[in-house]
Amino acid sequence: MDANSGIILQVTDLHKSFGNLKVLKGVDLSLKKSELVFILGPSGSGKSTFLRCCNRLEEAHRGTITFNNINILDAGTDINKYRRQIGMVFQSFNLYPHLSAERNVMLALRKVLSLSKADAHDIALKQLDRVGLLDKAESLPAQLSGGQQQRVAIARALALDPQIMLFDEPTSALDPELVGDVLNVMKDLKDNGMTMLVVSHEMSFVRAAADRIIFMENGYIVEQGPPEKLFENPEHQRTRDFLRQIEH
Amino acid sequence: MTQWERFLDTFFKWDVIVQYLPAIGRGFVVTCELAVLVVICGISLGLILALIRSYQIKIINFFIICLVDILRSLPPLVLILLFYFGLPNVGLNFSGFMVVILVLSFVLGAFAEEIFWAGITSIHKGQWEASRSTGLGYSQTLVYVILPQAIRMTIPPLTNRTIAITKNTALGMVVGVGEILNQATIAQSFSSNASPLMMGAIAYVLLFVPIVYLGRRIETRFAWKKN
Repeated sequence: MDANSGIILQVTDLHKSFGNLKVLKGVDLSLKKSELVFILGPSGSGKSTFLRCCNRLEEAHRGTITFNNINILDAGTDINKYRRQIGMVFQSFNLYPHLSAERNVMLALRKVLSLSKADAHDIALKQLDRVGLLDKAESLPAQLSGGQQQRVAIARALALDPQIMLFDEPTSALDPELVGDVLNVMKDLKDNGMTMLVVSHEMSFVRAAADRIIFMENGYIVEQGPPEKLFENPEHQRTRDFLRQIEH
Repeated sequence: MTQWERFLDTFFKWDVIVQYLPAIGRGFVVTCELAVLVVICGISLGLILALIRSYQIKIINFFIICLVDILRSLPPLVLILLFYFGLPNVGLNFSGFMVVILVLSFVLGAFAEEIFWAGITSIHKGQWEASRSTGLGYSQTLVYVILPQAIRMTIPPLTNRTIAITKNTALGMVVGVGEILNQATIAQSFSSNASPLMMGAIAYVLLFVPIVYLGRRIETRFAWKKN
C-alpha cells in the first residue's frame, strides 16, 4: 500500500484502438482514495472506453493501470482477483433477469468469495437495505423500475466491498423522475468515503458532488480540475464550448 | 357391409387388435427406450458441443461446425444404413438398436448444438460484462449467468426439434429393431389387415403427445418477463 500518496489508481499513457480507430491516445490519471472524479466529454471522446479499461472489460494496447501498486494490465495478473475490488455500474443496469434482486447480489459472493448461502444472503440484504430496496429483495428485475434496477446493480457491486466504484452513465437510461434516487445512493457513497470514477452528464450533480472533473475529447484528457475552476474558468476553448452546449 | 363397417374392419378389427396387442406393446417399450436414450444423449451432446464452441477456439469450432452441418444435411436413414451396413467392414458391429441410438443422438446433438449456440449468442453482452466485472470467470459466467437465460429461450425450438428427430426411431424398422412400426408392419403382413398399423399410429400419439405437453409446461414454467 502506498499510504503516503493515498493514490489508489494510477493510469499512465493509456492507448486503445478499435481496429484502425484510435479511441484513447495516451491518457494519464491518478485517483486518490475517497476522491469522486467525473469524466465529461462529447460522445466518442473515449470516456466510456477509458472507464472500461480500468477493469479490463476493454483491453488497452499500451500503458499501465496501477491499482494499489499492482499493474493490472500485466499479462500475469489474475484480473478476476482485482475486478471484485473495482466495482462497476452500467448504463443499462445489466441485472441478471432470471435472478431475484437478492440473488443478483449474492451470485458473486457465492461464486467468487465462496461465502456460505447464509452469509451471502445477510450481505445481500444489508446492501439492498443500503440502497433502500430491502422490501424488493425477492423481486425479479422485470418487476422493478429502472431506478430500482440501477440501485440493485449498485448493491451488487458494493456487496464485494470494492475499493473503487466505476459508474458508466448510471442515470442516462432512467426516466428523469427516477434519477434522484440513484444520485442519492451515490451521494451516500461519497459521504462514506468511496473512491469513485464516474462518466455522467447530470451537470447539477457533477457541480455539487465532484472533487475533480476531467474533460476528455478525441481520446485525450483536455483539461482537469475542481468543479469551480472547470465550470467558471476553463482554460481551453473546447471545454468552454462543450460546457456551454451541455448547459444550453 | 356398410362403409362404416368396412372402415372398422380395415382399421379396428377387434380379433387382430387383441392378437397383436402384446407385440405392439413390446414395440412401444422399445420405442420408449430408444426415445429416452436419444433425447438424453442427443441433448447432452448438443449442450456439450455448444459449450465447447463458446470458448471460441478456432480449430475446434471449425470441426464442430463441419460436423454439425454434415449431420444436419444428411437424411437420418442414410446414416443409419451407412452405420449398420458400413461399420461392420471396419470391425465395428453395432446392433440395429445401437445404430439407431447413435445416429439419432448425433443428429439431435447437431441440431441441439445449433439451438443452444443461438441461445448463448442471443444473450446481451452486458450480461457477460456485469458478471465478469464482479470477478466471475468465463466458465462461471457461462454456467451461472448465460446458460440459465439461454436454455429458457431454447426450449420451444428444442422441443420441436427433439420430437421431430425422436420420431425417426421408426427408421429402426429397416435395421430390424423391434420398435412400434416394425412390430406393426410384421403384424400387418401376417394378418393382412391394417389394424396393427392403426395401433402403431395410436401408440406413437400416446408416446409423443405427453412430450409435446411436457414441452409446453416447461416453456410456461420457465417463462419470465423480459425487460
